[in-house]
Amino acid sequence: MNPRKKVHPALNVLYVVGLVLFFVAFMFPFAWMIISSFKTQSEILTMPPKWIFTPTFKNYVEVFEGQDFLMYMLNSFVIAVGATLAALVLGLPAAYAIARRRLPSLGFTILVARIVPGITFLIPWFMIFSRLKMVDTMPALILAHMLVTMPFVVWVMIPFFEGIPNDLIDAARVDGCTEQYAFLRVVLPISGPGIITGSIMAFVFSWNNFMFSMILSGVHTKTLPVAIFNFLSYSEVNWGGLMAASVIITLPVLVLALMTQKYIVRGLTAGAVKG
Amino acid sequence: MKGIRRSLAAGLTLVMAAGLVLTGCAGRTEEKPTTTTTPAASDPAKKPFEGVEIRFLASQHPWTDTVKKDIAEFEKQTGMKVNMEVLAEGNLTQKLTVELTAGTGTVDVFMQRPLQEAKQFEKNGWYADLNTFAKDAKKTPAEWDMNDFHKGPIQAETVNGHLVGIPLVTEQQIIYYRKDLFQEKGVKVPTTMAELEEAAKKLNDPSKDFYGIVMRGQGNPAVTQFSSFLYSMGGDFVKDGKFTMDSPEALKAFKIYGDLLGKYGPPGVLNMHWQQASALMAQGKAAMWVDANSLYLNVTAPDKSTVGDKIGFAQFPAGDKGSAPYSITSWGLSIAKSSKKQDAAWEFVKWASSKEMVLKTQAAGNPSARASAWNNPEGTKSWPKEWVEVAKKSGEIGKPSDRPLVINVGKARDLIGEIITAAIGQKDIAAIAKDRNVKLNELLAEENK
Repeated sequence: MNPRKKVHPALNVLYVVGLVLFFVAFMFPFAWMIISSFKTQSEILTMPPKWIFTPTFKNYVEVFEGQDFLMYMLNSFVIAVGATLAALVLGLPAAYAIARRRLPSLGFTILVARIVPGITFLIPWFMIFSRLKMVDTMPALILAHMLVTMPFVVWVMIPFFEGIPNDLIDAARVDGCTEQYAFLRVVLPISGPGIITGSIMAFVFSWNNFMFSMILSGVHTKTLPVAIFNFLSYSEVNWGGLMAASVIITLPVLVLALMTQKYIVRGLTAGAVKG
Repeated sequence: MKGIRRSLAAGLTLVMAAGLVLTGCAGRTEEKPTTTTTPAASDPAKKPFEGVEIRFLASQHPWTDTVKKDIAEFEKQTGMKVNMEVLAEGNLTQKLTVELTAGTGTVDVFMQRPLQEAKQFEKNGWYADLNTFAKDAKKTPAEWDMNDFHKGPIQAETVNGHLVGIPLVTEQQIIYYRKDLFQEKGVKVPTTMAELEEAAKKLNDPSKDFYGIVMRGQGNPAVTQFSSFLYSMGGDFVKDGKFTMDSPEALKAFKIYGDLLGKYGPPGVLNMHWQQASALMAQGKAAMWVDANSLYLNVTAPDKSTVGDKIGFAQFPAGDKGSAPYSITSWGLSIAKSSKKQDAAWEFVKWASSKEMVLKTQAAGNPSARASAWNNPEGTKSWPKEWVEVAKKSGEIGKPSDRPLVINVGKARDLIGEIITAAIGQKDIAAIAKDRNVKLNELLAEENK
């Protein structure tokens, strides 16, 4: 350790205590969720909570047998992937144009779509989609989810593209590239980390989106966050099933985040000029 | 570089392909042109609603589970196709609000909570008036029998003279108590408010983490369970068009409710909805629980309760003006005014609320509003005998509402809930009640403008 930066030991202890406190505070609900998903209803509600018990897989069996959970998962996946890809296709060129041509007002307009509460879009959307007979179809949901994913991709990518030295692009132009070609062949290949960061976050936002899915989905397109409410009924709450379903919903996002963590970190540290 | 371009191209193709495939699938939900204006009742050989599709938005509820199983049979009889979507109750309201506001005729039949929504939905013009169907001999045969329904539930489903829904499920407030402990300690099952308090006091034993009574203590949800106390003390939420939450009767009721929970209730009661309250009862940590009888499985089912076989049921105790529990219609079935297939929709509603179906749904554990189901032993076989007696009695004497019937029910419940939580906190409630009552009347004046 650098001797000049020596910290007071008390501060160090405080730092560790703070870390532990935060860790416990954030992990407790998560731990409770996972533990509860292996308990029976009466064990879950026991106060004080039991830490030692015989785990049961009944809840998980119930989730997959009692409902079409695999279908809901597939729906969520198709919609999230679709909305993310569509956001990339439209969002990457948009972000590049905004960054290169310095069009902050355009960038701001896209951001406004994200700031306005989503619910304001719902009634007009519903009217449009129902006239087009598109309610309860994947395209409608993907389009709706793009409202969440696209501004995100654009706003992650603007600073990223701004960070790419103009010299690089100018060099490509001198060699005879068109602007579009330079974007495709020079800029995009070195933007991998930014694109991955943006897509993962967009995917997660779409995966978790509840409001749009609830109103615009139906029997054929129900997504996981909507389906999870099936465990709350008028006169009873199936806590075990609810927790098992929550674990199932969280798992893919968790795996995705862990798998791609190194890309995200690399995206934050790597220099842009290396292509 | 080539790789990136290729994957981008692949991505684009995928999106487009997905779009194509899925729009293709969408054909399944497409509406058929309306052919329902001439039901071929005169021609029994032909199925009257062949090829008609209706969309039914239902709530996650045991009633729904029972009906779902028989829908295929209904479809076979009528040739109709029922597209049923089941949602959690809060989500159902949100979805209905969006779809009915859009008014594009996407919803034909829906489940609704009359006390919570009827007034607002009716004001927005979302209900078809079912009187036009139920009182039309051509559309409704005599054996469907409107008079078989209890009066209270029909009253609850009537707004401005329009029948906005057919009552499906009813519930009453009762006392759940621990038979074994009452016997052991020689405590009488309470029939009056004084006896209720006495019993709670005697059985309360906080040193052993055991409490005399548990009820909802969260302000807003507690209002419905407080209503029976209010009625039994001779009060009401609204009298002659004005809120009366500061009347002497109301103050007495607040005090009883607050004292029960404040003195003999569990710690943390202010955060309790029925889920937490029933959990305490189910774990054998409370001697009594006062709440809706529809929730009984939460404390009697073996997989949920450690004391399931020791739970007794008793009628709501008498106050100054006798025992007056609520007996409410928690769910009803309605037809959307914007539906273009109202005749088909009525065919479905009529079937789902017919004597046979109601007997079936009640036998499966959903207390109905039909006298015929209650008088048939088949209709009450799934419940404990004591429970049936209490439910029947409460249904006869009960009040049809458990909350103030205003448009902005949630806001009103919040305000009344604040008085309840103050009472549980053993504060002097006279001033708070007076203040909230003024605010409640302002709310009411705003709505009547």
